[in-house]
Amino acid sequence: MPTLLSTPFKSVTPGLGAVTALAMCFTPLPLLAQDQPSEQENPEQEEAPSRAPIPLVPGEPTWDSFHGQLNAQKYSPLDQINTDNVGELEKVWEVHTGDVADGSGELPATVWSATPVFANDTLYIGTPFYRILALDPGSGEEKWSFDTQSSLEALTQPALKNRGVAYWEADNPVAGEPCQKIIYMGTMDAQLFAVDADSGEQCADFADNGVLDVNQWNDTNDRWPLSLLQPPTVVGDHLVLGWAGMDWAYEQAPPGTIYSINARTGEREWTFQALSDEMRDQSGTANVWTHMSADEERGLVYLPVSSPSPNYWGGNRAEEVPLGTSTTALDIETGEVVWSRQWVHHDIWDYDINAAPTLMDITVNGEDIPALIQATKMGFLFVVNRETGEDVWPIEERPVPGGDGSVEGEVYAPTQPFPTKPEPLLDQSEKPNVWALADAVSFGECSALWGDLHYEGMYTPPTTQGEGTLGYPISAGGVQWGGVAFDPESQTAIVNTSHIVQYVKLYSREEYEKADSGSGNESGFAPQEGAPYGMRLEVALNRLGMPCWEPPFGELVALDMTSGDIKWRRPVGASQQYGFFMPESWGSPTIGGPAVTAGDIIFIGASMDAKVRAYSLETGEELWSDQTEAPSVSNPAVYEYNGRQYVAFVSGGNTILKDQVGDQIVVYALPE
Amino acid sequence: MSPSLSSRPGAFVLLIASLAGLAIALYAYFTPLTGVTGTLGALVAIVACLALAVMALLLFKVKRRGASIVLRILILMGLAGTFFAGMLLHQWWISAAMVVGLIGLIVDMVRATHHARLTHT
Repeated sequence: MPTLLSTPFKSVTPGLGAVTALAMCFTPLPLLAQDQPSEQENPEQEEAPSRAPIPLVPGEPTWDSFHGQLNAQKYSPLDQINTDNVGELEKVWEVHTGDVADGSGELPATVWSATPVFANDTLYIGTPFYRILALDPGSGEEKWSFDTQSSLEALTQPALKNRGVAYWEADNPVAGEPCQKIIYMGTMDAQLFAVDADSGEQCADFADNGVLDVNQWNDTNDRWPLSLLQPPTVVGDHLVLGWAGMDWAYEQAPPGTIYSINARTGEREWTFQALSDEMRDQSGTANVWTHMSADEERGLVYLPVSSPSPNYWGGNRAEEVPLGTSTTALDIETGEVVWSRQWVHHDIWDYDINAAPTLMDITVNGEDIPALIQATKMGFLFVVNRETGEDVWPIEERPVPGGDGSVEGEVYAPTQPFPTKPEPLLDQSEKPNVWALADAVSFGECSALWGDLHYEGMYTPPTTQGEGTLGYPISAGGVQWGGVAFDPESQTAIVNTSHIVQYVKLYSREEYEKADSGSGNESGFAPQEGAPYGMRLEVALNRLGMPCWEPPFGELVALDMTSGDIKWRRPVGASQQYGFFMPESWGSPTIGGPAVTAGDIIFIGASMDAKVRAYSLETGEELWSDQTEAPSVSNPAVYEYNGRQYVAFVSGGNTILKDQVGDQIVVYALPE
Repeated sequence: MSPSLSSRPGAFVLLIASLAGLAIALYAYFTPLTGVTGTLGALVAIVACLALAVMALLLFKVKRRGASIVLRILILMGLAGTFFAGMLLHQWWISAAMVVGLIGLIVDMVRATHHARLTHT
């Protein structure tokens, strides 16, 4: 059942917030499902949303935010490029930003997951060196650039990361006045920059001469700066801002506050906290590090909330943390929680909710439902009514494995939510089969590993025994931040999913000191300092680097959202190792996401082979592809400029997927 | 064509095919957006084609029967491996060059056998 909350938000008044949070902490979950009166004083509470809502079935093409539209549908009504002519697509321009590093020199490697933003007749993009570029959408010619001069240090992440920029414009722009249209971009060291969208000049009226120091609010367990890698979600005149931190490093970490910032002035309007005050001290995170979606008509912003700290041991957070690993709907004017659904109880697998839920109007059994679909790392897709958080198709609480008794201080949730529809994107119920080819060429290495891994099905807890617990998937798997695309005309949802087996093992502090042999990007050893256990997370590969589980390693899936059934699924992309492409029937793990158009086309990069592709929305048939510089680990952008439809990809790479980085923006269109 | 080359047309074809494969592999390795730019796989293809070219040249020099057999076996293995590598690298022209090289090797073997029979009659 959804948790319907009115008060457990965190206002800017600390005392009130503490009372609220404590009340939430000691209140049984069912009671939290009751509507409660708001205690927050908020002068803007009575104000109506200031702008017309973006319709869920758009008439006008819009691609002015990370997921294209605020509803995160990644849908364009443009149909100039369609199934008949997509094979004729040609590269019309490309730009290499120069902001790239492979990690071999003094700079950390770059990870570039930005979606180009089309607005104000300009294509805007942020880079991993924290520069903003404004480009001509038809030619790629630079209009202006802005350099934040941010230090290029991997302060919280193992790489220099950027997910692009956000765009805001005034309802009634005043001619001749600067900053009536603004581009925002954050930095690794927690500075939010606001620059004029026309000139690239800093907006003097925004915060401190165009720069907001978000780290000024980092007042609890401030072990790292609140890295602003994801651009803010712009809802009306609100910038809704989360942050990213350092995974798996500490038991106590900065707690995951969300800030609503006035888009014009940079003033803080309200804050939201997913953790109680007590839990903020003893745990942390439960932050929002990815994009959010919003329904302006209903005045709601939807938060994909991550798991609390530390990620793989929960002895310090044995109490209920009802808003952790959840989708939480907030009133955009007040920050008040309207409803929340927790997707993993007592999360000890780092199953952060990592993608903005996609909002959609669907017709189920003849009833029109304002719904949302929440994709997850687990490979589950949860579909609920976005007004109330109630199930569209039943979501059942099912018993899950308890621990093996090897982990001190841990508690286990007896049940977890399982959606009955749509069916899971991968079968996590049993240990996946060992891939005979990988096993044979490694002389049984995979079988031996499988024998040393504990697995009792989905939500098998981490252990200290053997090689650890198998996870299918853990942090790398299922759906990543690209999220779900949706074609509102046919009511078809499109999602790419990875099939990745990982394994996690906990080490007592003494054992950890002996075993620690370093870490990579989201793999290897991590200390969880302060907790009784450090941990090791690995992908299950043989010594040749081959996956130990059977292909396909990644798929593209189309779902009929009127029934919740899968329309088709197919391997997506191709895996690549040392330059050698594997058969396309094996697919590829994916990072990044799709875009869908009224031309019945799905555009997607996301695969290891650094190709970008077009698929038929109807059949899943691959219709076009082109080679780019590095894996396109973001969503494409689809826009129209001077009567011509364009598709833009950013090829930046991500070392989680493959050691290949890029600085390429590449744009395609039909021949003129 | 020199007398030596004209007397070993199969080896000559193998040499040309190996050099063609080398050129394609170098292009694939150094040119952006080939899909294998700077990869270990493309580097392996470069080295393999170079080795095949050297072995093709050795075919002209080696006179002893045993050494020729060993060399041809090595060339055959090199052709097969490089063909497979070309396929996996999606560098189809490398694989095509290896097919041509194989034809050259077969021609060279057939002519050598024919020549041996003539010598012994």
